[in-house]
Amino acid sequence: MVLKHLSELKELLVDKPTRRLVLAAAQDHNSLTSALQAAHDGFIEPILVGDKEAVQNLAVQYNLDLSGVRIIHEPDTDMAVEIAVKMVRSNQADILMKGQVGTSSLLKAVLNKEWGLRSGSLLSHFALFEVEAYHKLIAVTDVAMNIAPNLQDKISIVNNSVECLNKLGIDMPKVAVLGAVEMVSETMQATLDAALLSKMNQRDQIKHCLIDGPLAFDNAISLESATHKGIRSEVAGDTDLLLMPDIEVGNVLYKSLVFFAHAGVAAVILGATAPIVLTSRSDSDQAKYYSILLAAAISKTE
Amino acid sequence: MITSLRQMADTVRSSGRSHTIAVAWAQDPNTVGSLYRAVSEGFAEAIMIGRREQIIRTCLETGADPERFTIIEAGNEKTAAELAVSMTASGETDIVMKGLVGTDKFLRVVMDKDHGLLPPKAVMSYVCAIEIPAYHKLLFVTDTAVIPFPDLDQKVAMAGYAIAMAGKFGIPKPSVALIGASEKVSRHFPSTLDYSVMCKMAQRGQIPSCVMDGPVDLFLACDPNSVRIKGVDTPLAGDADILLFPSLEACNPFYKGLMLFGGGELAGMICGTSKPVVLMSRSESELSKYYCVALACLMAATKDKN
Repeated sequence: MVLKHLSELKELLVDKPTRRLVLAAAQDHNSLTSALQAAHDGFIEPILVGDKEAVQNLAVQYNLDLSGVRIIHEPDTDMAVEIAVKMVRSNQADILMKGQVGTSSLLKAVLNKEWGLRSGSLLSHFALFEVEAYHKLIAVTDVAMNIAPNLQDKISIVNNSVECLNKLGIDMPKVAVLGAVEMVSETMQATLDAALLSKMNQRDQIKHCLIDGPLAFDNAISLESATHKGIRSEVAGDTDLLLMPDIEVGNVLYKSLVFFAHAGVAAVILGATAPIVLTSRSDSDQAKYYSILLAAAISKTE
Repeated sequence: MITSLRQMADTVRSSGRSHTIAVAWAQDPNTVGSLYRAVSEGFAEAIMIGRREQIIRTCLETGADPERFTIIEAGNEKTAAELAVSMTASGETDIVMKGLVGTDKFLRVVMDKDHGLLPPKAVMSYVCAIEIPAYHKLLFVTDTAVIPFPDLDQKVAMAGYAIAMAGKFGIPKPSVALIGASEKVSRHFPSTLDYSVMCKMAQRGQIPSCVMDGPVDLFLACDPNSVRIKGVDTPLAGDADILLFPSLEACNPFYKGLMLFGGGELAGMICGTSKPVVLMSRSESELSKYYCVALACLMAATKDKN
């Protein structure tokens, strides 16, 4: 399956049971608005945990419809987060979304050993871009969570992302491990890791995808450029997932796609027992909305 | 394509070329015997450096005609090695060969910065062409003798030497198996990490003129049946030409096992030097020693062309 537009996420959700999204510390205008929009369009069922009065005030102020929406009153932010996380853990909700709470507080709760959402995997950020210049959606990881992943971390990040892409119907996603060049050089660790990931994939130690790297950005996304360089690669020019060497590269790429290429984006945190929507204030309303849809599309269906 | 050591020696013999070999401390029977055959067959001239009297005596004892050799007197093994190496470095001779001098002493002279045969930063290694009845073609094996624990750069150089040697045997794109205990990549086996990097380098053309895969175990490298049973996707397909081992301690017993239990014969030489260096274990058969001399002549002919 090939996805070309983020709007196709809607089609993936048709005929599937409605996912329950719990918004932790729901008294946040940004996340509340997009959650209610997604609910209005029938893609999720929202559960709001937070300061009920503040939520209702926001609804009045921004003309949001709260009718039929379940609200659990908990004015204390940390407690609201804990309740939200525990709801996901006890299968009363399918998706966790960050509201009026710091990212680190939310993640701390997610990683709580007794009642958190640890799955044994590393948490990683996964972003799905719609770029006009590319023939399909392209995923990028990790642009926001892991700072300088080592080989073991990269394996987890790839596994998280591949599982996500598989759930979106992309059976054998093509993974390009990004470097500054396509040659292997001992002086660039990213190129060595890329070679190892390729071999581990070939040996079936990383499954359900096709990995090649190192590939420079142009080789990864343009077959012409790869052919020009004489690179033989099944991934080059048809990449589904770009694995970043570190957060600096990833973050800059993410932002240049958004600001220079006017890319549409949806993003989730993977690696917990349920998808986590963790949008920031600077994300567009559309990005938040599609992030919720992405989380819904990949959340468990039982 | 050369598929046996005998054919290799025949090729050298019928080339019509003769190479001059400087032999350091040349008075032992094995050295004299193997060189006498090469000289008699017309593809080598030997300059025997050592105690003249002893060399002549060994010749007579082994049935070799001392008149067929040029003999240069040297008082001890160190001066003999120094003379043999410097003659080769200066171009007076094409090949240098170790006689009875200790390997360490001999190699130290070969590696000498000012008068030796090792270019700056060059990796010195050892490649053996091995013939055994149980395999359908020659196996090029490295490193049986020089580098204890090769790092990535050294492994890349070793592969390059073996590929070059196979090329000289008429195998233009040899299959290179990077040998491990299994085909899995594991940080517990550091060589498997190097191997992964090398495969990518081969794929990107950084190690040219070969088909490379590893880690693989010996079965996957040399037995098509195992490849089928294990279901591993490997371009080697059980038909490897070159086996690169992770350490000398793995490679050395492997080749000795082939010699001792597998009915093997070998031809091996030092690689990475500016001129061929013949060096072999004293316990090698005389036939293998003769093949080593022939191999050095084959490889020297390559260098002539360049």
